[in-house]
Amino acid sequence: MLKAKVKIAIGIGAGLLAGAVFADQPVAGHVPNQNRQAQQAPVSDSQSPPANRWWTPGEGTPLPPVIAYPNSFGQVGVLNNAGVIDTKGHPFFEPIGENGRACVSCHQPANAMSLSVEMVQQRWHETQGKDPIFAPIDGMNCPDLPPGDPKSHSLLLERGLFRIFLPWPPKAADGSNIDPEFTIEVVRDPTGCNMHATYGLKSANPMVSVYRRPRVAANTKYFTHQGFGVFSFIGKNGLPATRDPETGLPSGMNILSDARQPTLKTQAVEAAVTHLQFNGKLDEERLAKIVSFESQVYTAQAMHVGAGSLIETETPPGLGIYNLAKGREGLLGNNVTNFVFPMSEAWRKPAPSPDPEITRRNDMRASIARGHDVFMFRTFWIKDAMHLNTVGLGNPTKRTCSTCHGMHMMGMDIVNGWMDLGTTNLPWAREEPLNPWNERKPQMPLFKITCKANVPPHPFLGRVFYTQDPGRGLISGKCNDVGAIVMQQFRGLAARAPYFANGSAGSLRELVDFYDRRFNIGYTDQEREDLINFLSAL
Amino acid sequence: MKRQVVLLAMLSWAGAAMAAEPPANHRNFVACPIVRDTNTVPCWLAEYEGETYFLTIQTDVSAPVNPPWLGHRVLVEGTVSDEPRICGGIVLKPVALSVMQELDGSCNTMLPAEERYNLAFEPPRPPGPSKGRLAFGDPVTKPRAEEVAASRSFELRYEFDSLVMFRHAQPLQQIFEHARQSNATKVQITGYRAASLLSNGQLMQEDKEIGRRRAEQVADLLRGAGLTALQYEVKWQDETKRAKGVEDAAVRRVQVVVSR
Ligand code: HEC
Ligand code: HEC
Repeated sequence: MLKAKVKIAIGIGAGLLAGAVFADQPVAGHVPNQNRQAQQAPVSDSQSPPANRWWTPGEGTPLPPVIAYPNSFGQVGVLNNAGVIDTKGHPFFEPIGENGRACVSCHQPANAMSLSVEMVQQRWHETQGKDPIFAPIDGMNCPDLPPGDPKSHSLLLERGLFRIFLPWPPKAADGSNIDPEFTIEVVRDPTGCNMHATYGLKSANPMVSVYRRPRVAANTKYFTHQGFGVFSFIGKNGLPATRDPETGLPSGMNILSDARQPTLKTQAVEAAVTHLQFNGKLDEERLAKIVSFESQVYTAQAMHVGAGSLIETETPPGLGIYNLAKGREGLLGNNVTNFVFPMSEAWRKPAPSPDPEITRRNDMRASIARGHDVFMFRTFWIKDAMHLNTVGLGNPTKRTCSTCHGMHMMGMDIVNGWMDLGTTNLPWAREEPLNPWNERKPQMPLFKITCKANVPPHPFLGRVFYTQDPGRGLISGKCNDVGAIVMQQFRGLAARAPYFANGSAGSLRELVDFYDRRFNIGYTDQEREDLINFLSAL
Repeated sequence: MKRQVVLLAMLSWAGAAMAAEPPANHRNFVACPIVRDTNTVPCWLAEYEGETYFLTIQTDVSAPVNPPWLGHRVLVEGTVSDEPRICGGIVLKPVALSVMQELDGSCNTMLPAEERYNLAFEPPRPPGPSKGRLAFGDPVTKPRAEEVAASRSFELRYEFDSLVMFRHAQPLQQIFEHARQSNATKVQITGYRAASLLSNGQLMQEDKEIGRRRAEQVADLLRGAGLTALQYEVKWQDETKRAKGVEDAAVRRVQVVVSR
């Protein structure tokens, strides 16, 4: 059952109305258009009964200072530095929009403040698809599909993806149109949303729909830092950095897959509009509460099945929630003084023990330490990666995982982190094999990108190429930004599969295999195993 | 042989003309870069008229000369030095490298490490994590507060036919900070178009519009970063005639004068 909204009845008028709610409230240029679409989309009946490990919007229970949740690699921990969080009336936890969702719906403590596909499936079964995470606006492949049918929600159910809708052409901060360097042609539209009369590229409010994983809404001091590499001009291309509209200070541009929002606060304004269908701009008081919650909450693996507790004093300085909360932000870790995730000698070379259980634990600790060395020191040829090979290292460059993932304690990029790794651009993006014996159909949209004649071609893909998600290119309009995705943090990975912005790696093994193929690394079984163990302990 | 034909075709397309020859100790040419592995960092080479030249090694973003890209040709503008060969190549120093924008799939030579070509020195940065600092310093450091002159001139240098790239973040930041600190009211921006005199006598000219586009882009970037209250004077100039095969790379530039 859809609750048709009164505003739908007045059609275009609804759009104007939704745009007008920002009249004296400056927001990022693309948000009024998003609001128009969010207010046009239906809202279905929803129920969010409480369940094990699940935070229901508005449930009102206090969130303790430290809490742990099981996952297949052990337990993920959530640490509130500010002490107990009273969630009653708290805007991160209350359903403040029109569809019954709260921020916590998609940023669940049990999933390292993100949302795993396993949890999505569990919720589908517990609520017969009625949980508000399945709301038509973005929890459906496209808002007007039949609710309750798993096919309508296949991208969320199978890959944990929500629909992100962004205006095309892109909007500058002041709302004016940016003249893009490339054209977009929809060559495959399995969700129907890019060609849709109301929601698509040719609608009255032209939008591109891409499908992305929620990101971790915690450990934020690291990815909003004002330290190394944050300047008025972007270190990767010399263009002006976005700025905090309040302070005028440049942003590190590491929030969201495409850095379209400069601060946590402006991000929260957009999230309320797009995900919660809140009509307008959240008030200052609620915004402040959201940002202060996000700024004190830390999440990381707290216990590892093999290696034991990660919150004791002997834990290596790079692991566990306490060390994470203590760590220094804005620090380049791709070096042998800070390290990205510092390990310890005690783990690397544990003292022998007569106790077989302790020996097993120590073996796992040593494997994690070796995995760290694979991440840090195992070289391979990084080739054809836009915004990495183009920033002075040469193409190819003989380097390591930590070259791209250099931020201390996070493994993000220390400067604005968008790069084209090949997760969404062909030929490297995961595509469904098409043949007479495979009944599955491609699920992701596919766009044909043509760089206009007056700009240089994409350095590694040429003038015409294909992508599932243009990433940063949808915001900047730059040809060489197409498929460049802001890398996300490495913490709590064990709690939040699948990986990459488009959920194309179902497990840590698939993630490592992607790199092995992409860069022809040739890992041994041992290296692969160690690397996976390392990632699962973060 | 075939490669040479393509090269000539490319050059004439880029607006080549015959001119005088550059001095004998200069090597200015367009070729596919070659990467050779070593037991530390890879080195970058290019071949010209049957000889191999050493261009640079891999270091990090802060290096004064950055390696070129496979998949693209490179314009090499260098001086033959008397240093011992590196990785088997005659050392060009100083050298300016410009990655050609069009793709060229034939530029794909990767050579394995060979004992005789290993570096005879320790590279400023190993092929992985550094020892705690960038090899040549932070490419974008906050400029020190210095005495604020009433008028100051800055220069941005460019690769052939190219606009602003990663390397320009730092000089742009310096211009930005200077304008703020000096309470500047005016900025004069002049973009130059240049040419490179190749060793084979060809004159390789930049895109006709590049001087204007460089100047306008710098103005846009400074405005975009927040310098909106300044009075902008944006000009451009053609200096293709200055090409003589020596330091032609220095002519591809934008001059910015900030004043009160
Ligand atoms: C329907 C699910 C959903 C809801 C509800 C939701 N988010 Fe998100 N969140 C996402 C997705 C998807 C992304 C990634 C979007 C992208 O990359 O473009 C994200 C990203 C974020 C990020 C960026 C983290 C990073 O590392 O870049 C923050 C912060 C965040 N959300 C906060 C919030 C807040 C605050 C709210 C409530 C106002 C909220 N979210 C509600 C799905 C959701
Ligand atoms: C060329 C730069 C580059 C290199 C080298 C690189 N990565 Fe990444 N990595 C990225 C980018 C870009 C993303 C984000 C891509 C996306 O989400 O689509 C990413 C994402 C990740 C993530 C986050 C997954 C998630 O969903 O939270 C992990 C984990 C990761 N990489 C591990 C590694 C490992 C292990 C290596 C070494 C084998 C490595 N990376 C090498 C650029 C790189």
